[in-house]
Amino acid sequence: MATYDSLFSSLGLKEWCSEGTSSGPMSMADLLNKTKGESAEPASIWDLPFPSMDALNESCAAFPQSRELTKGLEQGFLAIKDSLSLVLDPLTQPLSWALDGALYGMLTTPWWIVIPVLLAVVYVVTKSWKLMLFVGGSIVLLAFIDHYSYAMQTLAIILVCAFICVLFGVPIGISMARSDKLQRLIIPVLDMLQTLPPFVYLIPLIFLFSVTESKLYGIAIILYAIVPVIRLTNLGIRLVDKDVIEAADAFGMTPRQKLYKVQIPLALPNIMAGVNQTIMMSLAMVVIASLVSAPGLGVLVLRGIRNLELGVGLVSGLGIVILAVILDRVTKASLARINVSQKQ
Amino acid sequence: MAKDIKISIRNLFKIFGPTPDVALEYVRQGMNKADLLEQQKHVLGLRDINVDMHDGEITVIMGLSGSGKSTLIRHLNRLIDPTAGEIRVDGEDIMNFSEEQLRQLRRERMSMVFQKFALLPHKTVLENAGMAKNIRGYTIADFETDARKWLARVGLEGNEYQYPHQLSGGMQQRVGIARALVSDAPIMLMDEAFSALDPLIRSDMQDLLLALQEELKKTIVFITHDLDEALKLADHLVILKDGEIVQQGDPQEILINPGDPYIVDFISDINRARVLRVRSVMSQPDAGESTYAGDISEKDNLESVLLKSGGDMSLNYRVMRDQEHVGTLHMKDLALALVPTAASEDRSKSAA
Repeated sequence: MATYDSLFSSLGLKEWCSEGTSSGPMSMADLLNKTKGESAEPASIWDLPFPSMDALNESCAAFPQSRELTKGLEQGFLAIKDSLSLVLDPLTQPLSWALDGALYGMLTTPWWIVIPVLLAVVYVVTKSWKLMLFVGGSIVLLAFIDHYSYAMQTLAIILVCAFICVLFGVPIGISMARSDKLQRLIIPVLDMLQTLPPFVYLIPLIFLFSVTESKLYGIAIILYAIVPVIRLTNLGIRLVDKDVIEAADAFGMTPRQKLYKVQIPLALPNIMAGVNQTIMMSLAMVVIASLVSAPGLGVLVLRGIRNLELGVGLVSGLGIVILAVILDRVTKASLARINVSQKQ
Repeated sequence: MAKDIKISIRNLFKIFGPTPDVALEYVRQGMNKADLLEQQKHVLGLRDINVDMHDGEITVIMGLSGSGKSTLIRHLNRLIDPTAGEIRVDGEDIMNFSEEQLRQLRRERMSMVFQKFALLPHKTVLENAGMAKNIRGYTIADFETDARKWLARVGLEGNEYQYPHQLSGGMQQRVGIARALVSDAPIMLMDEAFSALDPLIRSDMQDLLLALQEELKKTIVFITHDLDEALKLADHLVILKDGEIVQQGDPQEILINPGDPYIVDFISDINRARVLRVRSVMSQPDAGESTYAGDISEKDNLESVLLKSGGDMSLNYRVMRDQEHVGTLHMKDLALALVPTAASEDRSKSAA
């Protein structure tokens, strides 16, 4: 006799219940009860269990236990997995190529070409000699302690993933800004992507793709890092001065002209702030993604944890910090340049 | 001045709310603004507006905030669509325009100047001035001479390569005016264009606008809440209150014969000597009189005549228009005209 027996009998479901006698293994609680030799019936209303799936299952064997929920979810995923990867595999293949290409290019090009090119890019986007010297010094330091190739792998992955985030994130943000309905639909998805613990992304991806493929970590990074650029593009376009929009309408701009001549340029500071955040989040994720074979500094961090190699962990962690500072300074400096030319 | 009607507004209604058509019926049956808001939860924007705006004239629409003047001007290029009514520009009903026609209208035939300037912050002054041309597909090389000419005309020579945020408010609005002029549109809509400027600069800008109008003869629709500004600029003055026209016509006429206590209230504080002109207070030329103290133009304001007369109220002046004797000004009439109208006297008595 269990607590909710009377509920099922009053509903006339007694027969249905007895049909399905649980064939699964006993739960821990059942086992404990058995060894203690106690009846499952609580003594008073004080001990009344919440009518959860497990409690109801005690009274009615046909009622599913809660572990069947997680099991069902898993089986459902496994069932659609093959057809899903049939569709997703070719769609995401370019990502693998891009990542592999970037890694290959970054590592096979000799350092005396890569470093000057990076510095030139830094100078072009920031127009600041000081920042360029700082970046140069940091990279030389990393190279000097033999972390050059790890750092470049990490950088290559981040640049590819951030580029793809911008490529998809900005158009999504723009379409969100144009339709309130779409915004209502997408915001919960963004909230979920942002709050889901990063490790959780990896689990279904491991089922879908082979661990040897670079798109596995690429997708994980992109899903995690694309959120800020979408949010801030949406926000930036919505915040564009209504008066300027009205002027654009009054002078007869087409919607396309309005987008390219007014909305995007005026939203650019916000979009760039989003890009900055996206790059920083890719960096955070690329470390976690080393769990699923992403190369770079994250691998060293992982080694430090796994083998308790304190020095390796600390040095590679410091390398990540240096990369983070470089990326943040460079994107912020270019953002500041945009801001100066658009003060209202 | 029998000029062509450029813009004509007929029976225009605008009601804001979820079901304006339902509310429109109540308004047509005479429900007032407060009741409409309370019983129908709709806001009456404009009620039964009929205005003709003549070619080459400055039509000033004046009203306090909430009177619907900004709503009204946005109907002229359909930034706001009316609930009911007809808007004709050059005889065409723009309510029937397709999106493409409407865009063409906004590009080619109308330009607009905004209270908050609404310049593009990431473009230079020169590019901003050429915005209308740029929208039509011209490149900077095509409109540069034009843009430079108009920027120089509004007093911004040498500022072409600055950004709007580097300019003061008055200079930014000059860019706004240059932008409207470069578009070559015959109609200029000015939405409280000078309201955000300080008084001295505002007065400068009014003079600039009048000087430009002297040579360009555009059809200007000017919105303001400032009566002095309205009287200075207007060829035709429309006074709005709570979305309705209280009175419209020649500003001098409105000043001398206010048709409504609301207007009396409005005009009681202005400097009548500066605003009223000789033509509004002169009488018919009488042949017998010969003791003229001098000739004055019908366009002179009373202040200048007072100065000329040295305060002597017994004099008479001959009023001339282009060498032609059109009337006589008795200084007595002038003195009387300076007193706010009888209607306002009654009001101040009852108030006391």
